[in-house]
Amino acid sequence: MLVLARKVGQSIVIGDNVELMVIEVRGDQVRLGISAPKTIPVHRKELLEQIRQENLMAAGDVDVDAVGERFNVLPREKKAG
Amino acid sequence: MKIDTTRFGAIEIDDNSILHTPSGLFGFDDQTKFCLIQHRPDTNFRWLQSVEKPSLAFVVIDPADYFTNYEIEIPDVHIEALGIDKSEDVIVLAIVTVGKRSDEITANLVAPVIVNSRTLLGMQIIIQDERYGVKHRLIENVISQDGERSTVEKCQVRSSAVRAD
Repeated sequence: MLVLARKVGQSIVIGDNVELMVIEVRGDQVRLGISAPKTIPVHRKELLEQIRQENLMAAGDVDVDAVGERFNVLPREKKAG
Repeated sequence: MKIDTTRFGAIEIDDNSILHTPSGLFGFDDQTKFCLIQHRPDTNFRWLQSVEKPSLAFVVIDPADYFTNYEIEIPDVHIEALGIDKSEDVIVLAIVTVGKRSDEITANLVAPVIVNSRTLLGMQIIIQDERYGVKHRLIENVISQDGERSTVEKCQVRSSAVRAD
């Protein structure tokens, strides 16, 4: 991993068209400005991980009949209440 | 073609109905072929069943059925990648996670699967909107919908109206 020291207002350039600028540093938080072409997705890493985990959970051992029961019960329970 | 599934046994699917997801789904990069199976005729729930991996299937919903305010902007780069010309061609599917208890049914609204219904090309995308996360409770949402009527009931009314046409 490449480690660079940067000050507020300074930036780094990745490849031909991605620029990462340090906008503000406050305590342990850093605000970054990212300029990248729309074709390059930019996401917080923890969101990607969250989505991956959620997919894995959703793909878990779901029983068809149990799901059917629950889905059918869903609106009826509401009506009774 | 005939495919094997863990939940539904061997089923016959129309080759022309296979959804292609060249980049896979998050966490399932190698899964590029799926088919949609209606859960039961009277529900809004469907299964996104992998064509190649019998044990892999996701419960999916049309998020509009349960989250009436759900609106997303699909980034141009994805519109282009999927070759979408008209908004009518877009199918939005939210992946549902079913927990152990009945109130643990949640939908992932931040990363829907978008499908071009004309080409059946699809991908799971990330919506840049802080209102949406990976877990939105369905039951809570059904209860909070305008008083007595649940969203589910409304949807059933709507689909029977369509059938009558």
